[in-house]
Amino acid sequence: MADCLKDKVGSVLLPGDIFSFESKEEKVICGPGLRRNGDEILVCKSGILRHKQPNMYWIDSQQKRYVPAKGESVIGIVTVKSGDVFKVDVGGSELASLSYLAFEGATKRNRPNVQVGDLVYAQFLIANKDMEPELVCMDSCGRANGMGVFGTGGLLFRVSLGLVRRLLAPQSELVKELDRAFPFEMVVGLNGRVWVKAQSTQHMLILASLLETCENMTAPQRQALFRKVAHSAP
Amino acid sequence: MRETPLSNCERQFLLKAIEEKKRLDGRQTYDYRNIKITFGTDYGCCIVDLGKTRVLAQVSCELVAPKENRPTEGILFFNLELSPMASPAFELGRQSELLVKLNRLLERCLRNSKCIDTESLCVVSGEKVWQIRVDVHVLNHEGNIMDAASIAAIAALCHFRRPDVGIQGEEVTVYSTDERDPIPLSIYHMPICVSFSFFLQGTYLLVDPCEREERVMDGLLVIAMNKHREICSIQSSGGIMLLREQVLRCSKIASVKVSEITDLINRALENDKKVRTEGGKFGFAESIPKQRITVLKSDGALLEVTNLEQKAEGIASGAEPISDLGRASSPVVRAPGTAQVGESLENAWGLEQLEEEEEEEEPVDQTMDEGQEKEEESLYHKKGEVVVISDSEEEDVVILHPETKVKDSDQQTSSSQQQGTGVTKKKKKPVN
Amino acid sequence: MEVDGLCSLALREFGCEQNLLSRPDGSASFVQGDSSVLAGVYGPAEVKISKEIYDRATMEVVIQPKVGLPGVRERAREQCVRETCEAALLSSLHPRSSLSLVLQVVHDDGSLLSCCLNAACMALMDAGLPMGCLFCGVTCAIDPEGRLITDPTARQEQNSRAVMTFAIDSAQHRVMMSSTKGSFSLDELQQCIAVSQRASEKIFHFYRESVRRRYSKTL
Repeated sequence: MADCLKDKVGSVLLPGDIFSFESKEEKVICGPGLRRNGDEILVCKSGILRHKQPNMYWIDSQQKRYVPAKGESVIGIVTVKSGDVFKVDVGGSELASLSYLAFEGATKRNRPNVQVGDLVYAQFLIANKDMEPELVCMDSCGRANGMGVFGTGGLLFRVSLGLVRRLLAPQSELVKELDRAFPFEMVVGLNGRVWVKAQSTQHMLILASLLETCENMTAPQRQALFRKVAHSAP
Repeated sequence: MRETPLSNCERQFLLKAIEEKKRLDGRQTYDYRNIKITFGTDYGCCIVDLGKTRVLAQVSCELVAPKENRPTEGILFFNLELSPMASPAFELGRQSELLVKLNRLLERCLRNSKCIDTESLCVVSGEKVWQIRVDVHVLNHEGNIMDAASIAAIAALCHFRRPDVGIQGEEVTVYSTDERDPIPLSIYHMPICVSFSFFLQGTYLLVDPCEREERVMDGLLVIAMNKHREICSIQSSGGIMLLREQVLRCSKIASVKVSEITDLINRALENDKKVRTEGGKFGFAESIPKQRITVLKSDGALLEVTNLEQKAEGIASGAEPISDLGRASSPVVRAPGTAQVGESLENAWGLEQLEEEEEEEEPVDQTMDEGQEKEEESLYHKKGEVVVISDSEEEDVVILHPETKVKDSDQQTSSSQQQGTGVTKKKKKPVN
Repeated sequence: MEVDGLCSLALREFGCEQNLLSRPDGSASFVQGDSSVLAGVYGPAEVKISKEIYDRATMEVVIQPKVGLPGVRERAREQCVRETCEAALLSSLHPRSSLSLVLQVVHDDGSLLSCCLNAACMALMDAGLPMGCLFCGVTCAIDPEGRLITDPTARQEQNSRAVMTFAIDSAQHRVMMSSTKGSFSLDELQQCIAVSQRASEKIFHFYRESVRRRYSKTL
C-alpha cells in the first residue's frame, strides 16, 4: 500500500520512478511532482519526497520557473494597463490579468492608483493550464489582507522556488535566523520573487546576497555565516 | 520570449544605491567581477567567466584566396553570436541592434587595431592566405558582454596554433599536427575593452556594469586599450554628454584594468602551456569545480559483457516476428522498364473476413436463422467474384497470405480449388 | 562475431554540472571524456502564436556548433534530440507554452549526439519539467575488424565502419531513438542495442547520484 511511498520519504527521486499499489484501500494524495498513472504513482520531477500527515505526498524540487497555481500569493509586475484590466508579469508562461475592481474599496468611480512597473502582491483566483490566469488583490470577504500595490524603497530580487517555500514554511528557521541579524520587512511571493526593506541600503543588499547564497548551505554553515554578518553589520 | 520587465522599485533602488556608492553585488565603483579564463583541449578555444556572464570563443583557420586589393595579407573574420541560451530576449538568427553593435565593436577592437600580423598569414601571394575566423558565443548574459567577449577573443587568438605549411613549387601542403608542430599567430599587442556605464546624466560612473545596472544606465563608454596604454578604439553610446575630464579619467582607469587583465590572460596561457608540455590533464573536463554539490564526476565505467550474445539473442527473439519478409518481397516485372515489389492490385479483405467468421461460427448450433445464412451466401458469392476476375493470379494471392491457407487447410482441401466448394461446404455445416 | 577486447567496451569518464548558468530555467553541462556539451532550457514560457499548439507545449531544440553557423548536420541532430525529448516530456501538462532547449557544443571528441542527449536530459530535469521517464544517449561504433566500441572518440569514429547512437529510456530500457551511419548486420545492431542498454544503466545510475548529491544539503 502506501508503505513503499512512506519508506522513500526524505530520499531523492527521479522522473520515471514508479510506485505500484496492490490494494486500493488506502488513499494517497499526490502533490506536485507526482502523478497517478493507472494503479501506479509516477514521479515526474526530480527532488526529495516529502510527506504530510495523514496521506499527502509531494516532491520538493529546486526549480526556477514558476507555474501558476490557484490560491497562491505572488509578487507581480504590472506591465500593461488595458481598459478594465492590468496585465501582470508573474514569471509564468502567460501574463496574468488583474481587474481594477479586484482591489479593496475599488469601484467604477474610485479606481486604484496603479502604474505600469508597480509591484503588486496578489493571489491567483484562476490558474490552470487551459485558462488565462487571473489575479485578485483581495480575499473572499473583500478585504485587502496585505495584498495590493507595494514596494516603495525596497529591493526586489529572485531566488529559487525551493528557497521561497522554505522561507514561507511555518516556523521557518531561515527567517528566524535572519531576524536575529537585524530588523527588516519582507514580502515573499511563491513565484520566486522576494522584496525586502530595511533601515539602510547596505542592510537590504546584505539580505539579498545572504538569501541568494544560502540556497546550497547546510544549517550550521548558514548559521555561521549569519552570525558573522550580524557582528560585522553596523 | 519575453524578458522579465524591470519594476519601478528595482529602478529606484538601483539609482539610490548608486548614489550611495553601493552596488548590488557588493563591489566598489571601479571593481571588476571575478574573471576566470579556461582553455579547452583544442587550440584556440577558451571560455571566459566574468562574474556570471559566460562567453565561449573558438578560433579556426582556413586557406582562402586573398582580397584583390591586399594580395599579401591574411583575412581576419569575427562573428559574435548571442545564443538564445544566454537570455530569453535573444532570438535565434535575429540581427538585433545589440548584436550589430557588439560585432562592430569587436571588429574595431581587434581587426582595426592591427594587433595581429596579417602579412605573416600569407602563404602564396595573391593566391592563398590564411583566413582566421573567431567565433564568440555568449552563453549567459549577466551584463557587460563586450568586455567578456573581447577578453575571450584575444585569449583564444593567443592560444591558437595554425598548421604549418610547406611550399614546393606550385604545390602547397598543409602538415597535420602530428607531422609538424603548429605555429602560433604573431600578435603585436592585446587590446581589451573596458566598459563604463553612466547614471543620472553622467554624474555617476560604474565599471563593468551587471545586467540590472545596464538596464537603468543612461550611457555607455567602451574604451579598447592595450597594456602600453594605447587606445585602440573608443565608443560612447546612449547620448550622454561627457566632459573631457570624465573621458580622461575613464582612460586612466582603463589602463589599470587592462594591465591587470593582460597579466591574467598571460598567466592563464602560461599555465595551459606548462600543463600541455608536462603532459598533464587539461581542457574543460579538468576545470569543472568538483567541490560543488551540483557537480559530479565519475571515472570511466567498464561494461560487463559476459552474456552479451545471449542478450542480443533475447532482443531478437523478444521482437515481433517479421512475417515472412523473404517470400513477399520478390520483385515483379510487369512491363519492360518497370519493377514492382508485391502485388497491391487485389483487395484481399473479403477473403480474410470470411474465414474469420467461418471459424467463429463453427460451434454455433444448427438453429441459425435464415437471414444470416442468406447474408453469408451473398458474401461467398462476392468472394467467388474476386477470384474469377483475377483468374491468372490466383496462386499469387495464396502466396501472399500463407496464414489463411494454413487456417483453411484442415477444413478446405485447398484454397486454390474452385471457391464454389467453400460455399457448398458452408451451407452443409449447419445441416450437420 | 566475437566480442573480445573488453577494454573497448568501456565508457569514458563522465561528469556533469547542473544549474551552472544563472539565466536559463534549467542548465547542465555534460562531459564524456573530452566531448562536452552545455545545455540550457527555458520553459514553460510564452509561445509565438504561429507556433502555438492548443493541447501541448511546443518544443524547440537548437544545437549551436562551435565554429560557423548551424548546418544540415545540426538540424538532423536537433530533430533527433527533439523527438526524444518530446517522447519523454509530459508536454500536455503545459499547453500553449514553449519549451526551448539550446545545446552548445563545447568540444567534439566523438559520441557527440549521445553527449547532447545526456546534457539535454539533465537540463530538462534541472528545469523541473514534468517527464514520464528519463533518457540517455549511448554511441557504439564497429571498427573494420568487426569489434564493438562503446562511447568512441572522434578518431575511433572516423576509423570505424559503422556508428550508431541510441536514446534509451529509463523505465524499460527501450530504444527511443536511433541514428546510424555506415553499414552493419542485424546481429551487430542487436549486439549494439544490448550493449547500449547495459551502458544506459551506468548512465542512469550516474544521473541518480548527481541529483542525490545536488539535494544532499537540503535533505
